[in-house]
Amino acid sequence: MMPELPVDRLAAVAAALPHESLAGFREAGRTALARHGLPTTRVEDWKYTDLADAAELSRAWLAAGAPVDAPDAERIREAQGRFDAHWLVIANGALLEDYSDALSLPGVGVVAAADELSAPRDALGGLNAALVRDPIRVRVTEPLAKPLALLVADSAATSAGTAQVRVALAVDSGASVQVFEQQVSSGDHGHYSNVLVELDLAANSGCDYVRLQQRATGHSQTARLNVRLDRDARFHYFGADLGGQLSRHDLAINIAGRGASATLNGVYVAGPGQHVDNHTRTDHRFGPASSRQEYRGILAGRARAVWNGKAIVHAGADGTDAEQANHNLLLTEQAEVDAKPELEIYADDVKCAHGTTVGHLDERALYYLRTRGIGRQRARRILTRAFAATVVDTAPIEALREVIGEAVEARLRDITAEIGA
Amino acid sequence: MLDIKDLHATIGGNEILRGLSLAVGAGEVHAIMGPNGSGKSTLAQVIAGHEDYEVTAGSVQFEGHDLLELAPEERAREGIFLGFQYPVEIPGVNNAYLLKAAVNAKRQHEGKDEIDAFEFLKLAREKMAALGMDPKFLNRGVNEGFSGGEKKRNEILQMAMLEPKLAVLDETDSGLDIDALKAVAEGVNALRSPDRAIVLVTHYQRLLDYVEPDHVHVLSEGRIVRSGDKSLALELEEKGYEWVREAANA
Repeated sequence: MMPELPVDRLAAVAAALPHESLAGFREAGRTALARHGLPTTRVEDWKYTDLADAAELSRAWLAAGAPVDAPDAERIREAQGRFDAHWLVIANGALLEDYSDALSLPGVGVVAAADELSAPRDALGGLNAALVRDPIRVRVTEPLAKPLALLVADSAATSAGTAQVRVALAVDSGASVQVFEQQVSSGDHGHYSNVLVELDLAANSGCDYVRLQQRATGHSQTARLNVRLDRDARFHYFGADLGGQLSRHDLAINIAGRGASATLNGVYVAGPGQHVDNHTRTDHRFGPASSRQEYRGILAGRARAVWNGKAIVHAGADGTDAEQANHNLLLTEQAEVDAKPELEIYADDVKCAHGTTVGHLDERALYYLRTRGIGRQRARRILTRAFAATVVDTAPIEALREVIGEAVEARLRDITAEIGA
Repeated sequence: MLDIKDLHATIGGNEILRGLSLAVGAGEVHAIMGPNGSGKSTLAQVIAGHEDYEVTAGSVQFEGHDLLELAPEERAREGIFLGFQYPVEIPGVNNAYLLKAAVNAKRQHEGKDEIDAFEFLKLAREKMAALGMDPKFLNRGVNEGFSGGEKKRNEILQMAMLEPKLAVLDETDSGLDIDALKAVAEGVNALRSPDRAIVLVTHYQRLLDYVEPDHVHVLSEGRIVRSGDKSLALELEEKGYEWVREAANA
């Protein structure tokens, strides 16, 4: 059974939030949540990912009066020290102005009027709208000196918690921006966060987007990134899901203009007890346009991964070129992957391809490395890292490749230690 | 240096080597020739330690120690190098990384410090220049997208960097154009020294025009059926392998 989140509780918590002007928006959120209900595993898109625990945590949190943990300042400073950027930091749903130098940029601020946000369309969007504290908007009209970094840093050191994060990004015609979205969390209590980022790319604009999810063991997240590409817009995305007990990311690409192109690559690493789910959906509404996707996953122990890549080529989107690939490396037999590409084509002149693989380390390559004096364990580590590196090296913001590479490596080290390999 | 006695080896239950004996001394170059399926590659793989092959009888001694007890990586660190007939492509691991890891694995085994980064690059560039390889190959994935000739040169580059005591080159000459063949041969000749041994496994006599062997052996059905000097290779080229088979059965 999916625990219910009582509307009166949601309303009571919302009433205590800042930005009263968003009261109507939050009410619309409660209505959407009540109407749709959190998705159960009977819903096709959620077949493998069970939100019951996250819902129960949210219910208990509401019942406990929605306590908010203090930010983990150390973790935030550590993250900020690794990358030179204009920062926006959101901890347990609250924007931390002291850490957010990006607020001084033109076009960056907290949303004060509901009409700046799109109406909630599903249960998780409803939950997000119902409880969001400081929705943020960013409008890019001219080049920024540095990338924009969005740090979602949740903590659950003194009590269990939940957080809603909402960001609306818009890039004006001809402009471009680099965005780094990093999600971290700490603390031994339970935590569930729900992040919604919307990105609107005007004609001939561009965005490089890197997302790094490193939540603490035991924490859960659902996150969605909706991207709309107008004519000749370019979107280059790389996502890395490394942490958390349950992680679900939805990436929705709306090709809404001719000549648009989207590259959507990612890596996920999951060890014992981790569940990582990536759903992508690309709507090709205009052609010619292209989308390229490659996700790679490394799993060990009782880990579970889901990859679902859907591409829909709508009628009239002639000249569409869509490619999807998902490759998985299983380091142990217990790990499980559900990989499913889905193509729906309603146009005539299209080029579409997809492929998925699930496999083990290449014994020939292992042997080759060993004949060069490299021990078996080290050879396994080298090949595992290489499997991820081929896609990590496609991340669009070059300065972040090392950050991601190191994060992937650190996670792989932890996991191999856990499974004793 | 290498002493093989009455070696029997199987793969998947099929006996490939059927009582092979071979002694290779320091400073010598041996060529192992034979028709397809005679067991040439099996011999190379058994020396390197491939775990799919099971040694059912006989012995292999390297510098007086039992080689068969050692894992492939231990054999490599002791100074055995196998040049692959089909070098493996490893996307995501760059050539420089592999070379350095291999060199350091050996140095560590010998109780030496890791190679200095500057010294490593200088050495690698020198060896590459000698082999006619573009230094850009250092930053490419191991053998990834290399042509046949580039892969073989890359094997010789690894050999040159590792300076093995015993190099076993499995059909390193196959699929090479004349320039690549010459470059590979020069790489092999550069390694010749009184304290090293080289075993060339080859189907054709062609490579032996450039690397002159001290001994030539003909393998047939898992056994050495004839041994001689370099003239045996020429004779073989002239008369074909049927001649050896007939001679062996006679």
